[in-house]
Amino acid sequence: MLHRVIRTTSAAVVVFAAVSGLARPVSAQNILKVGAPLPLTGPLSPEGTKQKQGYDLWAATANDKGGIKAGGRTYKIEIVYVDYASNTPRAVQSAERLISEDKVNFLFSPFGSGAAKAASGVSEKYGIPTLAATASSSQVYDQGYKYLFGTFTPNDTLTEPLADIVAKRNPAVKRIAILARNDLFPLAIAEEMQTSAKKRGLDVVMFEKYAIGTMDHASTITQIRMAKPEWVFATGYINDLILIRKQMKDLGVSAPVVTMVAGPHAKEYIDATGPLAENITSAAWWHPAVRYNGKGIFGSTENFNKMWAAMYPGVEADYSQASAAGVGEVLQLAIESVDSIDPAKVRDALAKMDTETFFGRIKFGPTGQITSLEPPVFQIQGGKPTVIFPDYIKQAELKFGVQ
Amino acid sequence: MIYFQVLANGLVLGGLYACIAVGFSLVWGVLNVINLLHGSFIVLGAYVAFFGYNLLGLHPFLILPFAGLLLFGLGYGVQRLAINRVITAPVLMTLTLTFGLDLLLNNAMLVAFKADYRKVILDPPLGSVVLGPVYLPLDRVAVMLLALLLTLLLYLVLRSSKIGRAIVAVRMDREAAALMGVEVMKTNAMTFGIGAFMAGAAGCLLSIIYPISPLNSSLFLGKAFVVCVLGGLGSVLGAIVGGVALGLIESLSALWFGPEYAVTVSFTLLIVFLAVRPTGLIGKRGYE
Repeated sequence: MLHRVIRTTSAAVVVFAAVSGLARPVSAQNILKVGAPLPLTGPLSPEGTKQKQGYDLWAATANDKGGIKAGGRTYKIEIVYVDYASNTPRAVQSAERLISEDKVNFLFSPFGSGAAKAASGVSEKYGIPTLAATASSSQVYDQGYKYLFGTFTPNDTLTEPLADIVAKRNPAVKRIAILARNDLFPLAIAEEMQTSAKKRGLDVVMFEKYAIGTMDHASTITQIRMAKPEWVFATGYINDLILIRKQMKDLGVSAPVVTMVAGPHAKEYIDATGPLAENITSAAWWHPAVRYNGKGIFGSTENFNKMWAAMYPGVEADYSQASAAGVGEVLQLAIESVDSIDPAKVRDALAKMDTETFFGRIKFGPTGQITSLEPPVFQIQGGKPTVIFPDYIKQAELKFGVQ
Repeated sequence: MIYFQVLANGLVLGGLYACIAVGFSLVWGVLNVINLLHGSFIVLGAYVAFFGYNLLGLHPFLILPFAGLLLFGLGYGVQRLAINRVITAPVLMTLTLTFGLDLLLNNAMLVAFKADYRKVILDPPLGSVVLGPVYLPLDRVAVMLLALLLTLLLYLVLRSSKIGRAIVAVRMDREAAALMGVEVMKTNAMTFGIGAFMAGAAGCLLSIIYPISPLNSSLFLGKAFVVCVLGGLGSVLGAIVGGVALGLIESLSALWFGPEYAVTVSFTLLIVFLAVRPTGLIGKRGYE
């Protein structure tokens, strides 16, 4: 009896192995799997969802055009999503699972600098080229890893141009008050601003951090009013910045320059602050108003904007969505340039890449972080984000005075 | 000089916090249910105000009774159909149930309204009045006064109406109230409904001050929790005292220690109160 069971089972196993062995090459050859751990639920879900939209646009566009051609084969792209529920340790586990169980060919990093850094060790261990669409902190890239590439420049590239413009255009701006959300990116950008300001001889009259989940900024804004700065620089996310802007108005704080990062790039910030958004300055890695002549499947920035509008009507792409679509395009360019999906070859192609896309010029530095991008500075003018830097895509001059 | 402004900020903020907490306090105090749906109820009330204002052009203050009644219906139904079934079980059971229901409601709102932050922008804005060195934002003052008025109404209902007396009776002793002919289950549902009414009304009022998104429900819930522990459970006055205390504590500690520590100080006080004076500033020992 036992023998019969063993015989039957082994026969079944052999048959199954033969069938799957025959079936596998047919499907696997034609599908290129890219793993994407994302925070699709939990507090980071809005950001995770945005990033997913970018990946989806790239996959849909590339598949519509017949897929990716490499080594005489055509691959359809399949993005394998794992929701890590805004929990960084789970992002790392998801990356491990995607590589070891789902056998993805390439990986897109999880959202933000913290999670991207945490997960980068996994893809390095397996030698899987990994593209980070939303990680800017240089600490993500200085680990000596060879397989990690990111499309956001370091944080100081956001504060330096703005500090330059303000210092040159209005020497009367001498005092700056900085209010930062005590959180990885918002605090890092505030510290960069402090450095940029001091470098130009500005007096940092206040540097305060507020806790995540703060529901009232009245005391701090009262102190800002007392300090009489000519420049108010506030960091946080959309929810914080809407409230801070509203309370500044409530408590009679006005200044020649008010900068907020990261929020004013989004339509929801402008809608939720209404007339109070006027003349608020901000910076981001990309903006729909930039103009580049891309070589990838999206072509120029204008063309990308059209494709975006076709897939997501009524929603303008922001920098994280564009960067997510951009890393897909960059991966495709790398694969096609070496005509192979071999991880090591694609990795080398990424390291050598110097090309222009709708997102900007793509050239990664020795650490894997992009060095070629010139992030635009913009200001809300007439209810719309208007580019004021760099000069070749400038739409208007910086206006002073925020009431 | 700065103290006048900070005290004014704290008092007005305290009014908002009282408004957030009063419904939560009522439900917790009377039913012994920690209603984790409360934050989502507030957000839903704010959405009613948002759409009422943007689609129908109705001022949030006018939409308030409608939003309150809508939430009352929802709250009454939730208690009648779900929570009443486990009301006599240990508090962990009702906590888990409201946690689950909150996941449902919050995610339903995410699907229906998206996570985008929105806001009611009054046109024209109410602006601020300047009294010497003190700026008073009129929208916050109006919200505070309306919240106090609503709370006073709730107090009168509890004091003088038949259902109010039934609620107070259930709060004091469930079994004795039942023996006296109070329909406990119906009273529970009314209480939960009134709690939801207050949350919906609060959401309506707060829609002109805070950004609206399902993601903010936990912020409101957290504040309601602290206010109730500070002020004492189940008493209307407790919510007001707790709210004003929290508003003042947060404003002053932001000034003294920096905004980074304002929330830390309030939560430290929460722990201290739980350990030293679990009945809060106003609450009475023995009412659970």
